[in-house]
Amino acid sequence: MTTARSDEFISVLERHKGIIFKIANAYARDAETKKDLTQEIILQLWKAFDSYNPLFRHSTWIYKVSLNVSLAFSRKEHNRNKLLVPLFVDLPGLAVPDESTERMTEFRHLQQFIQELKDLDRAILLLYLEEKSQKEMAEIIGITQTNISTRIGRIKATLRQKFDQLQK
Amino acid sequence: MEETNFVLLWQEHYQKIDQSLAINKRLLKELLLQKADSSIRSLIGGKVLGIIAGVIWLALLGGVLAIAFIHYSSAANYFIVSIGAIFLINVKAVYDYVRYLILINGLRLDGSVVEIQNKLLALQVSLIRHSRIMVVQLPFWSTFYLSSKWFPGAVEAGYVFFQLLFTAAFVWLAVWLYKRLTFKEPENRWVRFFLSGIGGKAILNALKSYRELEDLEA
Repeated sequence: MTTARSDEFISVLERHKGIIFKIANAYARDAETKKDLTQEIILQLWKAFDSYNPLFRHSTWIYKVSLNVSLAFSRKEHNRNKLLVPLFVDLPGLAVPDESTERMTEFRHLQQFIQELKDLDRAILLLYLEEKSQKEMAEIIGITQTNISTRIGRIKATLRQKFDQLQK
Repeated sequence: MEETNFVLLWQEHYQKIDQSLAINKRLLKELLLQKADSSIRSLIGGKVLGIIAGVIWLALLGGVLAIAFIHYSSAANYFIVSIGAIFLINVKAVYDYVRYLILINGLRLDGSVVEIQNKLLALQVSLIRHSRIMVVQLPFWSTFYLSSKWFPGAVEAGYVFFQLLFTAAFVWLAVWLYKRLTFKEPENRWVRFFLSGIGGKAILNALKSYRELEDLEA
């Protein structure tokens, strides 16, 4: 692949890096696995970049590949043989919000509850939290909008229940 | 917690991170140059080693078969038939494995989640279904050492009885395993034991995901 093509790829990644970061965060349980998963997602995106269909938005394409890689990744048993340094760099001071705040504690709980969901429900919830339309969610996941709507209802009820239990 | 708060909480947290997150371009270019252009490289690891080991094993079996044919004697009939069958079964297993790796590696991952996961899982489960053929070779391991010159004519009845019993036990085990390894009962402890030898956890996870997908599409 040419340098121009790889520069184009990097620029697409730069614009949508948040998607990969959030999905890897939701499917990987620790920092090391997160690095591996991020790397795997980027490799698969690069492999699929030549056949990218411009009819779809870049973000939709990235969601599809990233979720497919993450679901397959979470089923495997892994051996570490990859890069030791992360491909994403958090700038100091900005990246990690203040851990001590109440909102941060709530976020940690939300993250934990997301991790406890089934793999596919987790994918649906991630798209919901990103405020994707039900039409786009149905396209990414590959089920009907009605099915998406029912699922979201159930997932939200589960989350509410878990937060309620925390408060008791 | 109100449902709108989930979204707010999520977005508040990632807003700052999105702004500060930078891609390590040097590393990324290195990764793309070194690895991604060669799809074969993504097979690196146990898979390629598995294929190499399989090919060496086939070469060994093929070698001893060739020697048996070159120096043919009717005394080697049991040996030729048994090792021949083992060789063919192993050729099929290695062929299925290589085909699986090529298919799974060539699969485009930019389809919908349900479509791609269905394809990935079908491939994974089909590999295991194919791997059942390996158990068919078991009975042949109980006959390859017999010689036409002395079996069954030149041996005592007790030995013939023992050999028949021994081979029958291997046939029974092969049939039993072949029937059981259909993944209709993945929780069965014998099935689990067999699966543990061939990356069982990943396979059981695949079966679990299959059920999740069925549930999602229902």
